[in-house]
Amino acid sequence: MGGMDPGPVLYTIRIDGHLGATVLSAFPALVPQRRGAHTVLTGLLDQSALYGVLAEIEALGLNLLEVSQHTPHRESPPPGDGRSP
Amino acid sequence: MTVAPATLRLIDRGDLIAALYRAAARKVTIISAPAGSGKTSLIRAWADRPGGPHRLAVVAVQRDQHDVQLFWLALLDAVRQATGAAGDAEPAAATPEFNARAMVDRVLLELADARGGLTLVIEDLHELASPAALAQLTRLLTNLPPGVHAIVSTRHDLRLRLHRLRLAGELSDIRASDLRFSERETRELLDATGIALSEAGAAVLHQRTEGWAAGLRLAVISLAGHPDPERFVAEFSGSERTVAEYLLAEMLDRQRGDVQRLLLRTCLLDRVNGELADLLTGRPGSERILLDLEDANAFVVSLDPERTWFRYHHLFADLLRLELRRRRPREVPELHRRAAGWFIQHGQVVDAIRHTQAAGDWPGAARLLADHSFSLTLDGQEQTMQSLVRAFPPGADHPELALVRAMGDLSQGHLDEAAAHLAVAENYAETAPPDRRRRLRVAIAALRLRLARRRGHLAGVIEQVKFLDFPLTGQSDEDIALGSDLRAVALLNLGTVEAWSGLPDAERHLREGADLAREAGRPYLEVHCLAQLGFASKVRPFATTRRRCREAIVLADRHGWGAEPVIAPALISLSGALVFTGEFDEAERCLQRTEQALQTDTGPDIRLLLHMVGGMLHACRGRHQQALEEFSAAEQLRSQLEGSPATASQVTGWLLATQARLGRPGEARALLAALDDERAGSGEIRNARAAICLAEGDPAWALGAVQDVLDGTVPVIGYVTVVEAQLLGGLAHRELGDHRAAGQAAERALALAEPDRLVLPFAMTGSRELLEALPRHETAHAALLTEILDIIHGSSAAARDWSSLPPAEELSPGELRVLRYLPTNLARVEIASELSLSRNTVSTHIRSIYAKLGVSDRSSAVRRARSLRLLSAGRTR
Repeated sequence: MGGMDPGPVLYTIRIDGHLGATVLSAFPALVPQRRGAHTVLTGLLDQSALYGVLAEIEALGLNLLEVSQHTPHRESPPPGDGRSP
Repeated sequence: MTVAPATLRLIDRGDLIAALYRAAARKVTIISAPAGSGKTSLIRAWADRPGGPHRLAVVAVQRDQHDVQLFWLALLDAVRQATGAAGDAEPAAATPEFNARAMVDRVLLELADARGGLTLVIEDLHELASPAALAQLTRLLTNLPPGVHAIVSTRHDLRLRLHRLRLAGELSDIRASDLRFSERETRELLDATGIALSEAGAAVLHQRTEGWAAGLRLAVISLAGHPDPERFVAEFSGSERTVAEYLLAEMLDRQRGDVQRLLLRTCLLDRVNGELADLLTGRPGSERILLDLEDANAFVVSLDPERTWFRYHHLFADLLRLELRRRRPREVPELHRRAAGWFIQHGQVVDAIRHTQAAGDWPGAARLLADHSFSLTLDGQEQTMQSLVRAFPPGADHPELALVRAMGDLSQGHLDEAAAHLAVAENYAETAPPDRRRRLRVAIAALRLRLARRRGHLAGVIEQVKFLDFPLTGQSDEDIALGSDLRAVALLNLGTVEAWSGLPDAERHLREGADLAREAGRPYLEVHCLAQLGFASKVRPFATTRRRCREAIVLADRHGWGAEPVIAPALISLSGALVFTGEFDEAERCLQRTEQALQTDTGPDIRLLLHMVGGMLHACRGRHQQALEEFSAAEQLRSQLEGSPATASQVTGWLLATQARLGRPGEARALLAALDDERAGSGEIRNARAAICLAEGDPAWALGAVQDVLDGTVPVIGYVTVVEAQLLGGLAHRELGDHRAAGQAAERALALAEPDRLVLPFAMTGSRELLEALPRHETAHAALLTEILDIIHGSSAAARDWSSLPPAEELSPGELRVLRYLPTNLARVEIASELSLSRNTVSTHIRSIYAKLGVSDRSSAVRRARSLRLLSAGRTR
């Protein structure tokens, strides 16, 4: 893939530690879930929104562990079912 | 604040500082690590160490800096402060037009002046939102003069192209892992701040924060005076929350109510002072709190030596902003509005507009921007204005913004787009309420004026000037100030277009405009008027033109605008005057400088002159093909202008004559036939007709063509046309075998040329043999004759050797400027005063010139420079 932005795609972003309400408010477009000692943020993002989120992660001094994309062709639904408390 | 007066600097991170010492021995050090890693603290600690680095020039990139010009000006100022050069020149000021490349040259020039070494520190470079600026910065970093080092801090790796430095072993990196506190350092920090924590507790704290500086700093603030430090650490380590968020919440909770209130309510500002903080918190006493916070090293730093303005550490401010939005979302717009109100009261329009935008008041922000667009332009905030325009949400277009867009178009020379935007702005102004309508009309008229001037449209200019002359009957101080700015702008534009049209009032209006601008404290406008005055002086003796142009250039250089479009009219007029008097090499360099200054300006008016003078230079050097290209380009641009410039027939005439000299008289005839009667009847076109007849082998017709010019019965632009006619007549007589008449014509041409030492027509018409046939004892102008022949010989030699010239980059622009004075008998200190440089700078340049030319004294430098044709042969000014 290359060139044009294909539009919003489902991303999961894994961050070290549990994000509290203050920091989570920086990511209103993403759904947070706790996974052990990590927080996983999930949401539909286009490329520029993704870079915006990454810049926010950088600005808040968070430890980014993983970013992955789920293409619509794949069968696997977004992991998890609920929202974190 | 409940914190002991503890600072992280209390502990001596000797190993880390030693690492920076080692790194900084290389040319460039990049400190690349995430937020809160302690980049700035490291640099401060390194700088503050006794026996530490020599001189430092520190510049911190402002948050989200889009205005490249402001970044470079801050950098230049920092360098000047460090080198002590600040006293020698005017403070660097923003201008409506900006040339980044020239700015880097200036910074390099200042750095070259730094004796005994200097370290340039650029902090938070990741905030610089401009790829072009990074490219220029790469050029700066890879060309640092000997003894100059740079340290750059950034949150992430940047696209700086520094492989060359890396290969040369001149680049070093400090990264997050280097900055991390060791367990021992964590222990030392706790001890230094008087926190009683067990060995095990310290180890846990270190592990939990992973040695992250901001985490430790927050922890120390909370731990100081904590009743049970062990419990604090245990709870912290038991929590899975991120370090910063956990510790920020702890820290905030432990603050007094008024401190919390202040932190939350002022964190939206990029910078804050006591008065502004009082306004936002609704309580007095904020300044004391801010000072205490800074003393406690609690993420607050003062921005000035008097400690009146403060800013928060970026990470800290970001977290506080999130906290504010979460706890009191409804207060956020109101806080922005209050801040905007304070900034507008204190004349800080840009901050006011930013906060109005942040408050979500888009119509209000658009109004503010339009109302202040005129003075913001004069203050050189063009780029900032355009970035403010971009910040508006797409789609919801505000008609006010058309005015600002028109300004951007105009400064880039996009005249048609500017006209379209102005039409929208005009429609809008008529619907605005009366008090604003007047201001908007004034701003629109000022832009219309600039547009008409750029198009050479005299009637349009006069119409706008009439409007601008009386609209302001002085209501407020602001209006009165605006009034004198506007009058100066009106005079500038009027004088410029008059000069363009060859009208006599031009010089008076431009001089008045310059005086008014000086009184109003607008040096940029003053330089602008003086530069145009240089252009307006073209009917004067060349010596006057040259003097005025040089004065304008010296003033522009002093303000650092020597390579900006504003000075281009003086540069191009000086180039022209130098071509007329045969100083071709210097003219060529001046022309190159003009081209550099015009990089960001594509306006047809000034480019026409650039091509015209370029054509003159080529034609004089016998390079007719290049001359033809330049004259054709000039002619093309002329057709884009509404008014016909006074020099129009001159460009056309030289274009035709050049075609004829290239052996293409047929093409010239075709163009000639297409001219209207008025143009065809001008002296310049008569001369062109003669050149065509000569090329066609028809000297008798050539004589007939110039007869009316010689009789004075047709209009001419100036006496240069008459000299040219004499020479063309002389050439025709020579062809006809009448050597006596040919000699007489040459003698008359010399007599006319003598007072001004005019050379151009002799070189351009190819009159060398005509002059050589003139017996020296029969002429009353032997000195001039010899000089002209020397120049023609020299330039034909130059034309032959053109391809073998060394690259022009060998000497820097600054060195070339000094080189020009080496053939004179001026001492270094006198050269320094001529160029408005310090004596040290001149000496540095001279040393560097000697080194580059491989010589050891002044006279051999001059000889070598002449052989390289860096100086014109055998002539001093």
